[in-house]
Amino acid sequence: MKKSLVLLLSLIAVTSGLLAGCGGNNNNEGNNAAAGTNAPNNTAATNAPATEEPASAEPFEMTIRHTQVGADKQKRLAILQDVVNKVQEEVPGLTFKLDGVDSDVNRKEKLRGEMAAGNPPEVFDLFGSPDSKIYAKEGKLLDLTPILEELGIMDKFSNLDPFTYEGKIYGLPIGGSGEGFFYNKEYYASKGWSAPATFADLEKQLADIKADGKVPLAGASKAGWVPLMLANHLWSRYAGPDVTAKFATGEAKWSDPNVVKGFAKYREWVDNGYFKKGELGFEYAEYTTQFTSGEAILMYDGTWKSSVFKEGQSGEGLIGKVGFFNIPPVDGGVGDQTALMRDVNNGYGFSATAGEDERQLAAVKSFIKNMYNEEMQLRGLVEDGVLPAMKLDQSVLDANITDDLMKEIVAVLNSSASSFPAFDSLVQADVTTEISNIQIQKLIGGQTTPEKMGEALQKVQEEANAAVE
Amino acid sequence: MNKALRSPLVFILFVIPALVLFLMFFIYPIFSSLYYSLTSWNGVSETVKYTGFDNYTKALGDERFWVSVKNNGCFILFSVFIQVPLIVFFSLLIANVKKLKGLYKTAVFMPSIMSTAVIGILWGFIYEPNIGLFNNILGLFGIEPVYWLSDERFAMLSILITNAWQWTGFYIVMVLAAILAIPRELEEAAAIDGATGFQRATRITLPLIVPIISVVIMLSIAGAMKAADIVIVMTKGGPAGSTEVMATYMIKYAITNFKYGYGNTIAVLIFVFTLVVTVLYQLLFARRSERIEY
Repeated sequence: MKKSLVLLLSLIAVTSGLLAGCGGNNNNEGNNAAAGTNAPNNTAATNAPATEEPASAEPFEMTIRHTQVGADKQKRLAILQDVVNKVQEEVPGLTFKLDGVDSDVNRKEKLRGEMAAGNPPEVFDLFGSPDSKIYAKEGKLLDLTPILEELGIMDKFSNLDPFTYEGKIYGLPIGGSGEGFFYNKEYYASKGWSAPATFADLEKQLADIKADGKVPLAGASKAGWVPLMLANHLWSRYAGPDVTAKFATGEAKWSDPNVVKGFAKYREWVDNGYFKKGELGFEYAEYTTQFTSGEAILMYDGTWKSSVFKEGQSGEGLIGKVGFFNIPPVDGGVGDQTALMRDVNNGYGFSATAGEDERQLAAVKSFIKNMYNEEMQLRGLVEDGVLPAMKLDQSVLDANITDDLMKEIVAVLNSSASSFPAFDSLVQADVTTEISNIQIQKLIGGQTTPEKMGEALQKVQEEANAAVE
Repeated sequence: MNKALRSPLVFILFVIPALVLFLMFFIYPIFSSLYYSLTSWNGVSETVKYTGFDNYTKALGDERFWVSVKNNGCFILFSVFIQVPLIVFFSLLIANVKKLKGLYKTAVFMPSIMSTAVIGILWGFIYEPNIGLFNNILGLFGIEPVYWLSDERFAMLSILITNAWQWTGFYIVMVLAAILAIPRELEEAAAIDGATGFQRATRITLPLIVPIISVVIMLSIAGAMKAADIVIVMTKGGPAGSTEVMATYMIKYAITNFKYGYGNTIAVLIFVFTLVVTVLYQLLFARRSERIEY
């Protein structure tokens, strides 16, 4: 009896402790909320001609939702942390609360729920197209145009299209990426090869690697976007770099013969056994492992992957042994055959409510000023392998890039005459779902033909286009 | 005290908190889902456009939705016809062991307290085509590697096996509790009468635990209808949508695409289908086995 009583009391004590812990957070939020609600009064007071600092130094908190979670993103997190420290120094009373969430969870679940409920964090990781446009249309995002003009960095960005809605800018890309082939230089050297200059050379190399008993191309297609990186580049080579942008306007069709040629080439490579068998069951992490372990000789991936080939990372063993090249021109291909697939679709957005509070607005301005400058962009490039989203002088780049792989990547970027964004920022979400979750996996699994794939996609595309109209 | 409880006002006061919670967290979400299922709400907008039964027509006319319904059906059939007999079999075995009963109970219960994500990774290794346990065993007999998670002939089966492994122990503990609650005299009397172990299990124990088996089947059906996490972790609904279930279909084709109206439609359909299956089960089987008289 006594024992039961002690147990019961302990349980009550632990539960109370837990509840108190949870309550503590709420209290903080409550205080912050109170601070937030007081803020307009404070700012109203400080709006008076003689602005008094002490009044605005009252503590207030803002949340930054970031996606720098996991070992591979520690360098990016360190950059963010440095920016946070600088902003906190500049804005009296400000404390930033860092809320790290997995990128996919943030994008597809958490942020959407918060947007619907009207309580997103003040600063958050944001996808450009289509997410930022949908949120901007609903008035959920802070218009950054006046801030960029005030800071004088309006024209410093390479491309803000994914974050632009009705001429206004609602988000800023943190970096850019380009996609191409990473290749094992050591293996290539042992064969006396160099990066292929023609498509025929590339195919010859793939066949020879296969004959050598190695896996020519890393493959992990459990998530459809992974094989679609290469497939997207292939259909853009055959049908032109601008073809994907024309699907949503009806100017081009997925079933066009040149687009189908791209699907057919991918299927041909699958049939030739150029990808690791069983790829439909492998996660993206396995993709990298196939390459870093030396099992696969080539890996088609984004330039962000270069960060893996640094000290202390999973590809450490391949430092200095990895090269990068663009897909060579294809015979009969349409348009610029040097075009590179490049994206600037991920960055930071700010809640519209942050614009209603003068102190929060000051914090947003300070955050943008400290995050989007030459120093931070270079740190992103050098430490994390993320291409700058802002225009940087070539001499500055040359002076800062010491990594051989990064030098090769920059050379590839410079040698491509044009670029095009990935399909998922150009077509409607329904089409993305269809090609990512069904059609590309059917093509790999041999359950559809390139022609049928084109027709199926075109059907979904037409429905999506009609829905927009 | 009794006098107080006889007063309707006091009675209502006691009931109100529970009622409010029930209305807030059960009735309101159902009606809210029903409302949004008739709209084309994008999940963000403050304006909601009424579209009538368009979403329902779309869902019921979508071949992929029916693939997911069929896969939920596979979950139910696998649970009822393979998992439940195994649960009963192992429960009977564990109930009759003389030593280390606690160890067996803990061992079988363990998977049900593990996170689905961990189980997904664990079984991912077991199913791995090159170094996985299953293919290594098959290799001993000269059988070619099977691509468990990437071949659509085996992907669903692989998920069902993993799901069964995760939850079997939980149900075994439930059934075991029922077996151990049976008065020992019954078994002893049967043993004195010369009944063998098998006869005692099938003629005495089994009929007496039918009500708990019925509950296990009910819970399995409900669990099967809302399965999602194990599918997401193991195959993401692939390859090519072949392992999609209704809940993952809802996430992939509605929520991810800013179609919350359509997502609510699928949620309502999951609710309706689950209700129909469980009511049918109750009417056809469960009611007959509710009471046991010693």
